[in-house]
Order: sequence, then structure tokens, then C-alpha cells
Amino acid sequence: MKNDNIHHAEAAAAFLQDREQARWHDSAIWWVRQKRDMQAKQLPEWEQLRALAQQIKAHTLSRLDDYLLQFQANAEKNGVTVHWAADADEHNRIVQGILAAEGVKKLVKSKSMLTEECGLNPYLEQHGIEVIDTDLGERIVQLRQEPPSHIVMPAIHLKKEQISELFHRELGTEAGNNDPTYLTHAARANLREHFLTADAGLTGVNFAIAETGGVVVCTNEGNADLGTALPPIHIASMGLEKIIPRLEHLGVFTRLLARSAIGSPITTYTSHFHRARPGGQMHIVIVDNGRSDILGNDDFYQSLRCIRCGACMNTCPVYRRSTGHSYSYIIPGPIGSTLGPSRDIKKHGSMAFACTTCGSCSNVCPVKINLHEQLVLQRKRAFDAGTLKPAKKMGLLAMRFLTQHPSLMDSGGKVMRKVVPIVPESLTRHSAWSRPGRALPEMPEQSFKEMWQARQKDKKA
Amino acid sequence: MSSQANILARLRQNRPQGPALPDIDAVPFITFDDKFDAFRTLVRNLGGDAVQLADGDSVLSVVQQRWPQHGRLVDLTVAGHEESPSPHAWHDVDVAIVPGELAVAESAAVWVSHADNQWRSIYFLTQKLVLVVPRDAIVDTMRDAYRRIAIREQGFGGFISGSSRTADIEQSLVMGAHGAMAALVIFV
Repeated sequence: MKNDNIHHAEAAAAFLQDREQARWHDSAIWWVRQKRDMQAKQLPEWEQLRALAQQIKAHTLSRLDDYLLQFQANAEKNGVTVHWAADADEHNRIVQGILAAEGVKKLVKSKSMLTEECGLNPYLEQHGIEVIDTDLGERIVQLRQEPPSHIVMPAIHLKKEQISELFHRELGTEAGNNDPTYLTHAARANLREHFLTADAGLTGVNFAIAETGGVVVCTNEGNADLGTALPPIHIASMGLEKIIPRLEHLGVFTRLLARSAIGSPITTYTSHFHRARPGGQMHIVIVDNGRSDILGNDDFYQSLRCIRCGACMNTCPVYRRSTGHSYSYIIPGPIGSTLGPSRDIKKHGSMAFACTTCGSCSNVCPVKINLHEQLVLQRKRAFDAGTLKPAKKMGLLAMRFLTQHPSLMDSGGKVMRKVVPIVPESLTRHSAWSRPGRALPEMPEQSFKEMWQARQKDKKA
Repeated sequence: MSSQANILARLRQNRPQGPALPDIDAVPFITFDDKFDAFRTLVRNLGGDAVQLADGDSVLSVVQQRWPQHGRLVDLTVAGHEESPSPHAWHDVDVAIVPGELAVAESAAVWVSHADNQWRSIYFLTQKLVLVVPRDAIVDTMRDAYRRIAIREQGFGGFISGSSRTADIEQSLVMGAHGAMAALVIFV
């Protein structure tokens, strides 16, 4: 679970104290963005593919109730039990109820941001169920008792030395052995035992197919597959926006997902689950938890097209330089910064300002969500809801006053251009502009307005 | 009202406008002159390999040559193959030879959904996975693949592309996360 009181700018400042780690984080994630670009460039149809995905999702959202009913009917025909959860609490109670009825003691889980959103792990643990996250990155953050910092790469904020220390303590690996292959294979051996002794498996859902009543789960590790092929019970938890109308639509989405997420043509495993394994039972829990409200909001409903690839955070200059742990909502980065404030503007208002409005997120989004536009609108809501720190609020109010009074803006600018260059260094030492890596910009001779007017005059002449 | 009825009522009430479903075939997708070559180049970067079976050679002999010291081998491509009493009992399989129905050039993925298999756990528990695919069953893109596949195995079907892998530790790519450490696709 995440602490709702995180304030983005403050948490980011703390993260940036370790310059070396911050630089590594930035470049590691930028490399993933570059791999995504290489994949996109190999497909001449890339932009048309994005448009198709956008249209399929936009269509689906316009009749979500119909498709969900169709999905339920087909899933039930396959012998799957379908449950509906209005909120996180109901989701957790349903899952716990299924497990309790079968006397489950150990649950293996594959990656699911929805169960993070619902706080499922602590709930089940309170009810005496051992929960083992099995995605390697998720397992690492579970053992560290912290939330994931990225939706696709949960432990991207950690260095191998930290993971080596953790595994030495928790799994008994050699002290000081930082080799990623050694550490990964140690976790493999440990988690195999858990897979073989688990009583139930829980997965998220990447896509739910209305036409067939099945769900699709994509992983590179194979953990969702082991977790559902071995234990007799498979529970799949899905946000209600995961639905797609037809099987053939996966011919669009499976081409986009891994290329956008990690710069691979596809994930190792793209598994289609339509029934429990022989002798077992399969349950699907369809979760609302605020989504139907977002659907009714003209400004923000497009965020429900999201397929959780994480491309928007990999490209985001603010995310890369602040880590997911600086965001108060469980989903960080641009998409989290609209979903979080949509859910609770009072708690997550600072996220809307973790944005330079550069628009890069909207440009890489495989389903073309207007992310940066939504973030600007969320800022307005954050301001109106009174969530801003006093200094930020005063600054914005002063700026509003200035922009509403052009002559004051002109004369103020003129004074600033004269005064700033002669301000003694001792006065700026404790301002935002004196922090490492920042400097007061050089003052131009003319304002933009003056330059523009001169240019227009030249054109006419 | 039940949660189901409540949720559906809200979704109905909050319906946004939306376009008609697009025709996904209207857009031309990439094609490959040599699909096998594209597949092989890609799968080699994904912890796997691909070969075309030579005349007179057998799948078993290719496997023996590649892994002469292999442990327990299970071949699901033969009729009347070995069965397991439980999904867990496949845990010590070293090499699994399984039928793949269709291969995809753009993603090095193979569709696996075998009507004659009880426990899919074998695909993920085995240390080395050998996928046997008919030579002519290779298509350009995932769109072509979804036109041709069917769920034949106990409600399960999956695309498998290369070996199990992870980069969760410092973005270092490691083969063998939870599933097979090696994958070999043999086109016959």
C-alpha cells in the first residue's frame, strides 16, 4: 500500500539527493523508451496501428455495459464463475471468500496493478493467507515491504547491490554476489517451490474477450502460467475497462503492448485462459472501484483506454527524474497522474503538477490518450479543491493577476530583465535557482512581445 | 440492487459517444519475403533458436544432438504419449517436445493449444522447450495468426516466444525466469 500523503515535489527532491542513483534511473528508463522507438520504426503501419487500437477501445467504452454482459455470458458458458465488485473492499472480500471456502493457505500471485490498487495483499494476510508475489520485480518489492515504483518494472528504482543484500537476508544467497543471473536463478528456485505448493493462483488481466469469455495474460517470466497451471484454483481480477469485443482485436493489441512497454515484439507468454485446468475452478472478478464514475466525465474518460504498458512513464522527463515512489497514487507517471486525481483530487492533487506539459506521453501512448491535456485539466481541479501548498498557490494567483493585466506584465518584465543580472549572488543562494544543476537564466534584451512586434514590423516593411 | 446491476446501470448512464468498430483488415501490415529467416533472426535474440528439419532427419535426433546430456524427456507429439497423474508431476521434466500449431514471423511466437494434452504445466515447468511446427504454418503478423488459431486444449491456448526471461534486476536481461531456460523451434 502507498502513503497517500506523498507530495510529488518534496519526494522527488529527496530522491534527487543521490545524484548517481538518480542519473542511473533516468538513463535506464530512457533506454527502454529508445527500445520502444526501435520497435515502432520497424513497422511502417505503427501510427495506423495506434489509431486502430484507439478506435477499438473508444468504441468499446461507448457500450461497455453490453460487452461486459456478453463477456459474462460467454465466460459462464465455459464454466467460469464471474463476480462483480463495486469497490476495492468488495473485491477483497470476494477473493478472500473464494479462498476461505476452499481452505487455501498459500496464494501465488502474478503481476496485477489492480490488486495493488485494492490493497489485496494486506487484506488476505490479515485473514491468515500467505501471499507470494511471483513476478521477480514484484517479489523484490514485496520482500522489501514497499510498493512497486513502475507498473511494468516494479523494482527499477533499486540497484543490484540492494537486491543482492535483500536476497542474502531473505533467500540465503551468497553475500556480495551481485550477478543478476545468479540472483534471478536463486529467486527462480525459491519461487518454484512456492508454485508447486500453492493452493491457488491469482492473476491480473491484460485483455478480456467479450466474444469468447476468456482472459489474456501477458508475461515474460511465465509466472502467471505456472501460477494457474499448477494450483486447482485460478482467480483473475480485472478492471472493467479491460474488455475488448473480439478475439481478432488481439491482432492489434498484442502488436502494440510489448513494443510500447519494453521494446520487444511480444511478451514471451501471451496466454489465453478460458477454463480452469482439469479438476479445478476459475473465477473472474470484474472490478469497478471508481471506473464507472470516470466514464461519465467528459474530460477524463479517455484514460480508461489505457492498456498499462508504461510507455508514458518511460518517456516522461519528470517520472524518469523522480521515480514512481514520488507519486502518491499507486500508478505513477502521466497515466497515474490523471487516474489518481480522478479518484481523489484532495489526496493526489500534487501529481497533476508532476508534468512539464511537453506532451511526449501523448505521443507514445499506444491508444492515443490525450494525457498531457488531461493533466492540465487536473491542475485546475487541484487548484479549485484547495490542495496547493501556499507558496505555489500564491505564485499561480500572482501569475494570473499579471496575465490579466498586460501593461503590468510588460513593465514587470522590463524591471526583471534589468534587475536580475545585477542581483548579488548572496541573495539568490537560498532560492530554487541555486540548487545543483540549476542556474538563473540569462536575461534577454527584449521580451517575447517586443521581439514579435519588431518581427511583424519587419515583415510589413 | 446487486453490485452487478449497480455497475451496469452506471455504465449505461455514463456512456460516452464512440466510433463504430474499425475494420482491422483495412490497414496493410508488414510482410516478410522470407518468413522463416525473420522468425529465426528474432527468436535467437529472445533466448531461443529455430531450425528446419533436414530430409531424413528426425526431431528426436536434432534434440539429442543439441542436448546430448539431457535428463527426463517427454514427447507430446507422438500418439499415445506419456501422461502425468497431476500437473505437478511434470516438475522434473528436462526436455518437453510439444506440437506448435502456427508460427508468427514478426514476433517469433508459436501458438500452442494441444487437444491431446491434459496438463499445460509441462510447457512452463520444463527446462528446455521444443516446439514442433509444420513448415508451411508460418504467417507474417499476429493479425494473420488470430485468424487461424483456436482454443483446443482444456480452455487454454498460448503464444510462446523464445525462453522465459526477465530484466527486473537493473534491466539486465536474464534467460530462465520461471519457465523454460531454452526454447527450440523445429519446422518440419
